[in-house]
Amino acid sequence: MFWRMISGALFRQKGKMLMIAFTVALGASLATAMLDVMLDVGDKVNQELKTYGANINVMPKGASLLDDLYGVEEGAGVSNQYLKEEELGRIKTIFWAFNIVDFAPYLDANVDVQLHSNAGSVTAASGTSTETSVSSGGSTSSGGSANVASGTAGVELVGTWFSHHLELPTGESLDTGIKNMKSWWDVSGEWPRDDQPTSALVGSILASQKGIDVGDTLTASTQGRQQDFTVVGIFNAGGEEDEQVYVPLLAVQQLTGRAGLVSSVEVSALTTPDNELSRRAAQNPKSLSIKEWETWYCTAYVSAISYQIEEVITDSVAKPIRQVAESEGAILEKTQLLMLLITVLSLVGAALGISNLITASVMERSREIGLLKALGAHNLPISWLVLAEILITAVVGGVAGYFAGIGFAQIIGHSVFGSAIDVKPMVIPLVAVLIFVVTLAGSIPSIRLLLRLRPAEVLHGR
Amino acid sequence: MNLLELKDISKIYGNVKALQDINLEVSQGEWLSIMGPSGSGKSTMMNIIGCMDKPSNGSVILDGADISKESARGLTDIRRDKIGLIFQQFHLISYLTALENVMVAQYYHSMPDEKEALEALDRVGLGERAKHLPSQLSGGEQQRVCIARALINYPMLILADEPTGNLDEANESIVLDIFKQMHADGRTIIVVTHDPEVALQAQRTVVLEHGKVARIINNEQDTGR
Amino acid sequence: MKRQTMYLRMITSSLVRRRSRLLVALLAVAIGATILSGLVTIYYDVPRQLGQEFRSYGANLILVPAGDEPSIDRDTAQRAVDLIPKDEVVGIAPYRYETLKINEQPTVVAGTDLEGVQKASPYWFITGEWPTSSKSVLIGQEVADLIRLTPGSSLTLNGTGAEGQAVSANFTVSGIVQTGGTEEAFVFMALADLEAMMGDSGKLNVVECSISADQDDLDKIVKNISNNVEEVSPRLVKRVTESEGTVLTKLQALVYLVTVVVLLLTMICVATTMMAVVAERRKEIGLKKALGASNKSIVIEFLGEGLFFGALGGLLGSGLGFLFAQVVSMNVFTRAISFQPLLIPVTVVVSIAITGLACLLPVRSATDVDPAIVLRGE
Repeated sequence: MFWRMISGALFRQKGKMLMIAFTVALGASLATAMLDVMLDVGDKVNQELKTYGANINVMPKGASLLDDLYGVEEGAGVSNQYLKEEELGRIKTIFWAFNIVDFAPYLDANVDVQLHSNAGSVTAASGTSTETSVSSGGSTSSGGSANVASGTAGVELVGTWFSHHLELPTGESLDTGIKNMKSWWDVSGEWPRDDQPTSALVGSILASQKGIDVGDTLTASTQGRQQDFTVVGIFNAGGEEDEQVYVPLLAVQQLTGRAGLVSSVEVSALTTPDNELSRRAAQNPKSLSIKEWETWYCTAYVSAISYQIEEVITDSVAKPIRQVAESEGAILEKTQLLMLLITVLSLVGAALGISNLITASVMERSREIGLLKALGAHNLPISWLVLAEILITAVVGGVAGYFAGIGFAQIIGHSVFGSAIDVKPMVIPLVAVLIFVVTLAGSIPSIRLLLRLRPAEVLHGR
Repeated sequence: MNLLELKDISKIYGNVKALQDINLEVSQGEWLSIMGPSGSGKSTMMNIIGCMDKPSNGSVILDGADISKESARGLTDIRRDKIGLIFQQFHLISYLTALENVMVAQYYHSMPDEKEALEALDRVGLGERAKHLPSQLSGGEQQRVCIARALINYPMLILADEPTGNLDEANESIVLDIFKQMHADGRTIIVVTHDPEVALQAQRTVVLEHGKVARIINNEQDTGR
Repeated sequence: MKRQTMYLRMITSSLVRRRSRLLVALLAVAIGATILSGLVTIYYDVPRQLGQEFRSYGANLILVPAGDEPSIDRDTAQRAVDLIPKDEVVGIAPYRYETLKINEQPTVVAGTDLEGVQKASPYWFITGEWPTSSKSVLIGQEVADLIRLTPGSSLTLNGTGAEGQAVSANFTVSGIVQTGGTEEAFVFMALADLEAMMGDSGKLNVVECSISADQDDLDKIVKNISNNVEEVSPRLVKRVTESEGTVLTKLQALVYLVTVVVLLLTMICVATTMMAVVAERRKEIGLKKALGASNKSIVIEFLGEGLFFGALGGLLGSGLGFLFAQVVSMNVFTRAISFQPLLIPVTVVVSIAITGLACLLPVRSATDVDPAIVLRGE
C-alpha cells in the first residue's frame, strides 16, 4: 500500500514531481559541472601556462652557468663538459614522463658570419656590434660579456631541435623542440626543419642590424671549419635570443666537431605547486625521511622531476627555472582557489534552491498530510511516505542532472581550453551526498512543521 | 417576470450526460432550492447558472439576455455584476481579514468601500470580528463572511452551493436566518443542497435525478405557508 | 477608498500574512541575486586581480639605452619611468653591471634597488635574508658554490673604477639567490654601494619594469616612452607579455563561461521555485475569478508581488553577492575587490524580470482554468 500511495503521488502529481525532479536535476548538473571543472582546472591551466616555456634547465655537472660567469666560450677547459644527445630520450622514461610536455637541447658556438644576400652584396658581420646589446629576456645581461671575451667577430650560433622526431626506448615516439616551447616567438618566414641541417632562423635584432632577409645565405666559420646556411625565417622573441642564429643541432655539432653532444637541455613539465616538503627536498633530498622521500618522489614537484631527470642523464644538473616554476605555482593555486570558491557558491546556491523548492512543495501538501493523520496514520509512516516520494524524485532528477552536468563541463572545457574536461568518478558520490543531504534538509523541517498541525485545522482550511 | 430561464439545457462530459434537457424558470424574488443525490447534476447546473461553465446545448437567459453564447471573458463580467456566490468550503482568502475578503469582491466589481463592507459584515452579525483572519473565525463565521461578500455588490441572483454543508446545527440556523432575511428583502436565491431541511425553506424545490428534472415541489402549497 | 489602496493592501497582506511562503520565495530570489551579483563582480575583477598575480613572472617591460650608448643616465631613466601610470607599476628595478673580481675570479656585479627587485622579480628564492644595510650583498647560487660562501660570510671585491683607479671593498653575504637563470652567477648589491665603490654615479645599464597592464596599455606606454625620451629604448619582454595575454584570455573565458552556466542554472532554479510558490495558489486564483476578477487584474496582482520579491531579493542579493566576491577576493588574491555600483540596479532588474516571468507562467495557466474546476471538491 505504501508503494501504491507513492506511485500514486509520483504519477498522478506528475507536474509537481517533474518540477522537483527538474530543479534537483538543475542543481545536480550545476554541482557536477562545477566540481568536474574545478577538479580539472589545475591540469588545464597548467597546460596553458606551458606557453611560458621551459621550467627546468638541464646542464652538465660542473659547467652549469659558469660559461656566462667567466665569459669563456671556447677551450680553456671550463665548459668542455657536455650532455649526450642520445640520452635525451630517457627524459621521457622517468617516473613523471607523462608530465614532460616538451624539451629541447642546445649547443652553441661563437662564429664569424658572412652574409651573401640575394642582391649579391657581401657584408661581414662584425663582432663589436653585439657588444652594445644588453640582454633582455630573462632579466640580466650576460650575452654581452660572453661575446667580448671571445674576442672574435662573434655571432652566437645555437643548434637545437625545432620539431624533432624522436623514437623512445619504450617504443613510443614524439615530436619535440622549440617550435612548441617558444610559443611567443613571432616567426616571419618558416621554422627550419631538423632534417635540413643548412636552414637557419635569425633573430630580429641581428637581422635588422645586418640587413638579413629570408632567403639569404650565411656562412658561419669557426676554428677553421665553415658551413653555409640558408635563412628560412626571422624571429622576434623580445629577448636576448633576438641577437642569435638558430640552426638544427646537427649542424653545430659538425661545425664544432662535437658529434652527439649538447650543452644544455630545456624541459617544459607539468608540475605541482611547491610546498614545504618540496622546498626542503630541493635543498637536500637526503634530509627527508623515507616516507617523505617517497611522497616527494611520487609527486610532480618541479624539484622531484628535476631529480628524476638527473637520474637518467649522465653527469647532469637539472635546475628549476624559478621565474616560470614559482609563478606557475602561484597562478595555479590562485586559479584553483578561485574556482573552488565559485564552486562552493554554486553548490550552496544549488543546495538552497533545491531545499527551498522541496520545502515549498511539502508545505503545499498540508491538506493531504492532515487527511492522512485524520485517517489515523502516525507521524512516522507519514514522514516516510513523503520522504520516499521526494527521494525517488530526487534520485531521478539527480541522475539526469549528473549527465547534463558532464555536458556543461564539456562545453566549458571545449570552448575555453579546446579539450575535454576529465570526468572524475569521485564527483558522483559528492553529488549524490549533496542531493541526499539537501533533499532531507529541505523536507524534514517542513514535514515536522506540518505534523505539528492538528488534522481538523488543516482539513477545514484554516 | 422571470429573472432566469433555462431552455433545453444539456451538458455532456465525454460520454457522460451530466444534464439532459433541463427547462426551468426562476422569477424575480423567488427562493428556489435544487436537490438531488450525488451525481444527479446539481453541481453542473449550479456552475451553468453561476456563469462558471457553459451548457453543451440549450440557452440560459439571465435578466433578459442569453448568456450561453458568451465568451469566458464576458461570463466573468456577468458573474461579477449579477451573481453572488456562496460556497460550501467558504473559500476565503487566508491572508486577508474578514473585512478585506468582503472588500476583494468590491475591488473586482467597482470601488472598495470599507464603510459599506463593514456594514455588510454588521448585517451578518460579524461587525466585531471584521479584523480577524479566516483562521481565527469559526466555520459559521467564515460562512457569514462568505455571505457578506456575496451580497456586497447587490447581485440579482444569489447562488449558494451547500451553504450549510460544513456547519453545525446552531450555525446552520444562523445562516438560514440570514437567507430568510435576504428573501424578505426581495432577493432571488438559488440554493443547491442535499439537506431536505434546508431545501424546505425555499418556495420551490427542483429535484434532479440522473441529469433530469424528476419533479418540482411547491413547498408553500405542501406546508401551507 | 481608492482601488490602488486596496491593491496595495491585498499585496501587502499576502506578503505579510503568508510569512513562511514569503521566506521561501524571497530566499529563492535572494540566492539567485547573490550568485548573479557575486559572480559578475568576480568576472569583472578577475582580469585585474589575476593580472596582478601574473606579475610574479617578473618584468614585462625593460628600458635599455637607445642607439650605441652603453648606459642610460639615471635622470633620463626616471623621466621614462614617470611616463608609466603610477597605479599600474608593480615594481621597478634599475641595474648597473660591472665586472669585478672575487678571489681573482671575474664576476658580474649588479647594483640595483633591492626593494624594487623584490617587487619586480618576486620569484627569486633567497636562502638567508635580503640585504637591509649597506655593505651587504646577495650572491648567486653559482658564486656561492664556487667560492664556498654562506650567508654571513664576508667577501672582498676588487677591480678597476670609473677613472681607471684600483678599487676594493669588503662586503657581508646576507643571502644566496636561486633563480635557475643567469642571476645565479651574479652578485647583487645596493646601487649606492656599487657607485660608491666605482667612484661615479648616475649610470644604469637596464631598468626592469613590472607593470600591471594588458598588451594594449603596454604598447601605449612603449610608444609614449620612445616618443618622449629619445635616449631610452623601451622593449616589451614578449615571453611574459604574450604568454600573459594568452593565459589571461583563457582564464577570463573560463570565469565567463562558468558565470554564464551557473547563472543560467540558478535562474531556472529560482524560476521553478517561484512557479511552485505561485502554483500553490491556483485555488485562490479560481476564487478570485469566481468573484469576477478579470485575468488581467489577477496577473497584475501577482506581478505586483513578483516585483516586490524581485526588488527586495535583488537588493539583498547584490549586498550578499558583493560580500561573497569580497571574501573570494580576500582569500584568493588578498586584495579588496572594487565595488560596481551599476551592478545593484542590474541585479534588481534581472531579479524582477525573472520573478515576474516565473510568476506569469503559472498564473497564466491558472487563469486559463475554469473557476468551477478549481473550486470544486476538496
